[in-house]
Amino acid sequence: MSFFLYLFFGLVGLLLLLFAWSVRNPRRPVTSPFGADVLEEDEPGHLAYLPQIQQALAKTDYEFLAGRVPIRVQRRVRHERRSVALAYLSALRGDFQSLLRMARVIAVLSPEVAAVQEFERLRLSIKFAWQYEMLRMKLLAGFAAAPQLMSLSDLVSGLSARMESAMQELGERAALAKELSSSLGRRGMGAA
Amino acid sequence: MAEIVSFERVLWGLTVFLKAGLLVLLLYRRNYRAFPYFFAYALISILHSAVLFESYRLWGFNSPTSRSIAWGSQGLVILVRALAVAEICRRVLARYRGIWALTGRVLLVTAGFVLLYSWAIARGSWQFAILNSDRAVELAIAAVIVMLFTFAHYYEVGVEPAVRTLAVGFLLYSCFFVLNDTILESRLHRYTALWNLLGTLSFLASLVIWNWALREKQPEATLAPEMLSDAVYRQMTPEINSRLRALNDQLNHFWHAEGKRS
Repeated sequence: MSFFLYLFFGLVGLLLLLFAWSVRNPRRPVTSPFGADVLEEDEPGHLAYLPQIQQALAKTDYEFLAGRVPIRVQRRVRHERRSVALAYLSALRGDFQSLLRMARVIAVLSPEVAAVQEFERLRLSIKFAWQYEMLRMKLLAGFAAAPQLMSLSDLVSGLSARMESAMQELGERAALAKELSSSLGRRGMGAA
Repeated sequence: MAEIVSFERVLWGLTVFLKAGLLVLLLYRRNYRAFPYFFAYALISILHSAVLFESYRLWGFNSPTSRSIAWGSQGLVILVRALAVAEICRRVLARYRGIWALTGRVLLVTAGFVLLYSWAIARGSWQFAILNSDRAVELAIAAVIVMLFTFAHYYEVGVEPAVRTLAVGFLLYSCFFVLNDTILESRLHRYTALWNLLGTLSFLASLVIWNWALREKQPEATLAPEMLSDAVYRQMTPEINSRLRALNDQLNHFWHAEGKRS
């Protein structure tokens, strides 16, 4: 009997935890009646710093430093560059989340969504979160070299053109809806 | 035990008072328009109390007739409660046609699965049939509410404060009921008086929460956002997913390359 007792207590505990997680610190809803403006804030930000990141992560620098400066300095350089790599990885995650958010807004504002696409995205986000944490820990432990991270940025930047056109469409629709709403409001006030 | 029973009577009176207050609030603030099923639930709940009171007065608290009436009418109350929860789900997500069509199905499947699971793992004896059904429905209600808020969080859909508070009331009551039923099942006779008392207390807490939620007039329906054209989703979403997949693959390659090196 105690098995059932523990099982149901566990289930209820799990539900309450999940509920607390889902209502904690609610993000600003993307779906305020005319809320497409949220999209404009979420453009990928790290791309502007890509040249500096590339320079900071260049492998040739290590080769140049080897034998020219004391080990202590080389270590310091490695440490600083690892911090850069971590920051870059974090920026990539930001970009990933930005893409995700864009996809969610599109889904929320679409009259029809495909379950396959939605569940695929959920699966991908869980997978990314897991891999990201693993890589981050590897970098923190000093096992991973940073240069490979650079190739990831190309994937993110490739979408920017399509994102811009989508954002433009969303913006136009939001403006149209706002205008319609305010004209209806004015008409309502006139009738009153 | 006698103290518990007399204390419970006081709580029962308080419960009826709060139910009446809730009904008045729903009528006075015209919130029955915004939440018709919740209104039906409040109404049936107060009628249920009246029926129970009469049956206890006529046949006594422990008589088989009173027990049959109490458990039988409980079925109707649970059904309307489930409808009120479905109304909350609809209120939160139905404005967004696309995700509502998807999440509505997921919520239904979740409810069905939890019902079956809860029933399947419970005791087989008919003695516990009503108790198990009751617990299964309450667990399904709790699961649906949690799933609803998880979806709302995932899609960043804003939930009106009053709706959220109503849902919290339902969730707390359902969770408490599940635990209570489980404990009752394991220590059936010794526990009855305390079970009734705790059940009344949890319902009292939910009533306070619901009264608080509906203290002001709620809009009948919030304005739906302007929808995008179908083409935007069809074109953009697969592309975003493929980019996300590629990002994952890159992380994966990076991980394996590093693994080989080290």
